Amino acid sequence: MAELKKGDKVILTTGGFATIDKELGRGGQGIVYQVDLNGEKKALKWYIKTPDDRFYKNLEHNILSGAPSTAFLWPEYLTTKQNGSYGYIMKLRPQNYFEFGNFLLAKKSFRSYSAMLAAAMKICNGFMMLHRCGYSYQDLNDGNFFIDPETGDVLICDNDNVMPQGEKSGIMGKARYMAPEIVAGGVPDKYSDRFSLSVILFMLFYANHPFEGAKVVACPCMTEAYEKRFYGSEALFIYDPTDKSNLPVRGIHQNVIRRWPAFPAKLREAFIQEFSQEKLKNPNTRMIESQWEKLIACIRDTLVRCPHCGEETFIETSETCMDCGKKIDVSKRIKFGSRSIMLTKGTKVYVDSDNVPDAEVVEHPNDPTKILLKNVSKERWTAETPSGKIKIVEPGGLMPVNPGIKIAFSAAHKGEIKEEN
Amino acid sequence: MRAISFSCQGESHIASGKVCQDYSYSHVYENGNAIAIVCDGHGGKRYFRSDVGAKIAAKVAEVKVNGFIDQIGESLIKGTPFTQRGTISEQIAKGDFSKSNKIDSAFRWLFGSIISEWNSLVTAHAECNPITETEKTSLEERWVTDFEGKVNFEKVYGCTLMVYVYTPEYWFAFQIGDGKCFACNDKGNWTEPIPWDDNCFLNKTTSISDSGAIDEFRYCYEGDGVHPIAVILGSDGIDDSFGLPENQANFYVQILKSIVTSGEEATIKEIESDLPQLSKIGSQDDMSLSMIYDEEKLKEIYLKLIEWQISNVKRDIANEYCKIGKANKIQQSLESIERPTRQNLIDLQYANADEKKAIEIGGKLMVRLEVLMKELNKFDRGFPLFGFIILKFMVIFLLY
Amino acid sequence: MSLLDEQVSVPRRTMTLFFLIDTSGSMEGSKIGAVNDAVENVLPMLDEISAENPDAEIKVAALEFSSGVHWLYSEPKLASDFVWQDVKAGGLTSLGAACAELSSKLSRSGYMQSASGAFAPAIILLSDGGPTDDYESGLAKLKANNWFKAAIKIAIAIGDDADKDVLKQFAGNSEAVFTVHNIDALKQIIRVVAVTSSQIGSKSSTAGDTTKQEQVIEEVKDAVENIKGAEAATSVDTSSYDDDWD
Repeated sequence: MAELKKGDKVILTTGGFATIDKELGRGGQGIVYQVDLNGEKKALKWYIKTPDDRFYKNLEHNILSGAPSTAFLWPEYLTTKQNGSYGYIMKLRPQNYFEFGNFLLAKKSFRSYSAMLAAAMKICNGFMMLHRCGYSYQDLNDGNFFIDPETGDVLICDNDNVMPQGEKSGIMGKARYMAPEIVAGGVPDKYSDRFSLSVILFMLFYANHPFEGAKVVACPCMTEAYEKRFYGSEALFIYDPTDKSNLPVRGIHQNVIRRWPAFPAKLREAFIQEFSQEKLKNPNTRMIESQWEKLIACIRDTLVRCPHCGEETFIETSETCMDCGKKIDVSKRIKFGSRSIMLTKGTKVYVDSDNVPDAEVVEHPNDPTKILLKNVSKERWTAETPSGKIKIVEPGGLMPVNPGIKIAFSAAHKGEIKEEN
Repeated sequence: MRAISFSCQGESHIASGKVCQDYSYSHVYENGNAIAIVCDGHGGKRYFRSDVGAKIAAKVAEVKVNGFIDQIGESLIKGTPFTQRGTISEQIAKGDFSKSNKIDSAFRWLFGSIISEWNSLVTAHAECNPITETEKTSLEERWVTDFEGKVNFEKVYGCTLMVYVYTPEYWFAFQIGDGKCFACNDKGNWTEPIPWDDNCFLNKTTSISDSGAIDEFRYCYEGDGVHPIAVILGSDGIDDSFGLPENQANFYVQILKSIVTSGEEATIKEIESDLPQLSKIGSQDDMSLSMIYDEEKLKEIYLKLIEWQISNVKRDIANEYCKIGKANKIQQSLESIERPTRQNLIDLQYANADEKKAIEIGGKLMVRLEVLMKELNKFDRGFPLFGFIILKFMVIFLLY
Repeated sequence: MSLLDEQVSVPRRTMTLFFLIDTSGSMEGSKIGAVNDAVENVLPMLDEISAENPDAEIKVAALEFSSGVHWLYSEPKLASDFVWQDVKAGGLTSLGAACAELSSKLSRSGYMQSASGAFAPAIILLSDGGPTDDYESGLAKLKANNWFKAAIKIAIAIGDDADKDVLKQFAGNSEAVFTVHNIDALKQIIRVVAVTSSQIGSKSSTAGDTTKQEQVIEEVKDAVENIKGAEAATSVDTSSYDDDWD
């Protein structure tokens, strides 16, 4: 195969062509170029080691079916086979997205826990949609995700490895992200993708790998033989409640050592379950994406902004700020069925599951002891006061936080303001 | 390949009765590989077993590095050009958000295994060796409580770690904390191959006992067939004695030259007698030196080492000459003023002093140049040309 | 042949003492006179400390700031060589500019050589008023400087009009600000602070658990008790208006 250079033209299967601008990066499979396609800047992935025809047909099929969700930088156009190889065209990745690996090395960090949770939600949703379309991802690893640290928005790249379930793309994922049964030689499917998802989520929250503790870091070099053991047959969760031989190590796993106790117990419990020996050996009992979504939403409901120091904090059993240690008044709530969302100044309320806040709690402009609810959604809210008056809150509008007010955020989402003591 | 290493107690430690907290080690293996290590235990009272920590760090590093070399296989580093990687915070400062490659991941893994094993061994040492009454006398209450409560054991043993590894196919070096690694290439020029970390400043240093130690390692490697002729690791006691890196490199040149002219054994004796001396007139700190050199190639670059020294001395002479010129200009301009102000008089006074000092230093440099020229001449027939240059400088200085 | 013959130069280590002197209009008269007198008289004492000290030699640099900033000499001079030139008062108080100027000189391309073998500098700030320029950006720049971070920093507030809060920010600690109320006390404190900082600053650190700045503060505090009209920071509980504001 030949590398491409500036000014080269690649012919697309749709008939047009794209012109090479410059190289953006290269990896084991191929080179990514910036190209010009009818005046628009796009990215071209060009294979160095040309995969077989089946791979080409699969790409063709994926392009035809379209992206499962906006989280994917999905292949848009396929080139014809030329210069002994071929490639596909996708959107350019914006500058403000950074590779997940940067977050693991703490070279980049999320602006807020909200952004972190938004990223987790978006990844779950992306995988749910992917599996719903009948695909499996096959090569999930920290190089595939690009995240905007400000908002937590996620772009999933390298979607050429996405295959109908039960088929094998021939590109093996990195062992660190593979389910033990795949490390042992199995065929990736949605169950193994789910395992990879829980690893990615764990690393997103705690910035350490769930199996990399004392036992694993003892070897000076992660050889294939060790990988087969530590991510496969002998995989052991660092916080396994019964086997403490693989605990995280001071000086190496500082992130998880610090964050594990600080993040909500529900999250801890979920991971302890997911990485238990039992679930590692029984792929079909693993949590499905929608369960993860629910859990993350539930954790997001415990996240408030501390009115004293302005930092975000999780409120579980104790009503004090993790940061400044002061007690926070969380008596004002919105209830949606079993959900009870605490309203403190600066807290954002996610009513539905679209990962975008719908309401924000703000301070009363004339009375700092009072809080107001601001409509930051695109919907008009209809509120009913305790005395039965009907009020409309336009997008951008404000309303008081008074117990007894019922709010219809949309036809499907109705809640009520309550005060708890 | 040959290896030398030596540590000695610092002058200030002798005075205060403190043990040597440095540890150095070097070795050439039968398979042709070689390793040099320097560890410097921290000096504060908080780190009351840092000498033990330093020894453990060196032992652990040797074992893990050998495991690493056995397991990574020849192909990982082979073929790669000289590459440097700073600490994570340096990478952030430089805006380096590139993908970490296989080599970076492998090194990170190696550093992790060293930290982990060091943790285990110092913890074991602490558990087998309860705090003694003598130790207690110089400790703050809270540290004793920490130790007995098994909290922060690692701090007590805190130290730096610096390692150079030679294999016939490639070489690499890594470091956490202060101290400096100097490498001499086949042209007789000196570099510091491991990137510096600005978090090590004056008497502040990063440490293997830091909570984020893994992110504080910095390293370099090269697999394109080019090897340094000599690599010398020195603890900060040595670099603090010399200040400028070229002074330190000059000391190392003296060592290498001595090896060629007087042999290794005699040179080791010199090092053993000179390092305590250096501590006395220099930093007063513990001194450690650990080195690996290629004895054949060293002979080949012997002349280049002298030439390197000569070019430095010549540069210094030129500098002093420049200063004399500058002072003279001021003197001339002020002498012509009929009624000088107080400021004029002060300036003149400084100009006179600067001139005197430059002549004095210049004279010493001339003597040094002559010695070096003679050394060179013993091996080289090109004296007439250099002789001419020497003469020229002599004339300049004799004029004053 | 010894490895350490004359071909190997082991330079003496250096500790630089910086005077930052407010020469704004309000300093005019006896205050500036006292400063000139005190510094001129302390230089021979510093030379003595330097001569008796095996660890390091002491160099001195002085920066005066009013409407502008000005170094007395374009490089630090040995205490023995330093010829004091009386500074004159007049103009504003450009503390921000002084901080920025000091920061630019606290670098290898400025007055400092390689950090290896160097001692942290000692910096003495004298002022009788408050800054008239945007001192915050200059001070922020200075506070990010590694040499400044490691330095012994002492501020001398001349009279009650001195902005002690700003001086505290400079020295990093309210205990490092000493206040004087008369000319005699001013002269004495300059001497005590300069001598103590030089003594402690030019010694190989005992890798201690108290910083050199803390050691200087302790010694100066003791001395201040015997100086009429000089006071150390009193230990009023300031937590209510200090601690929660950052």
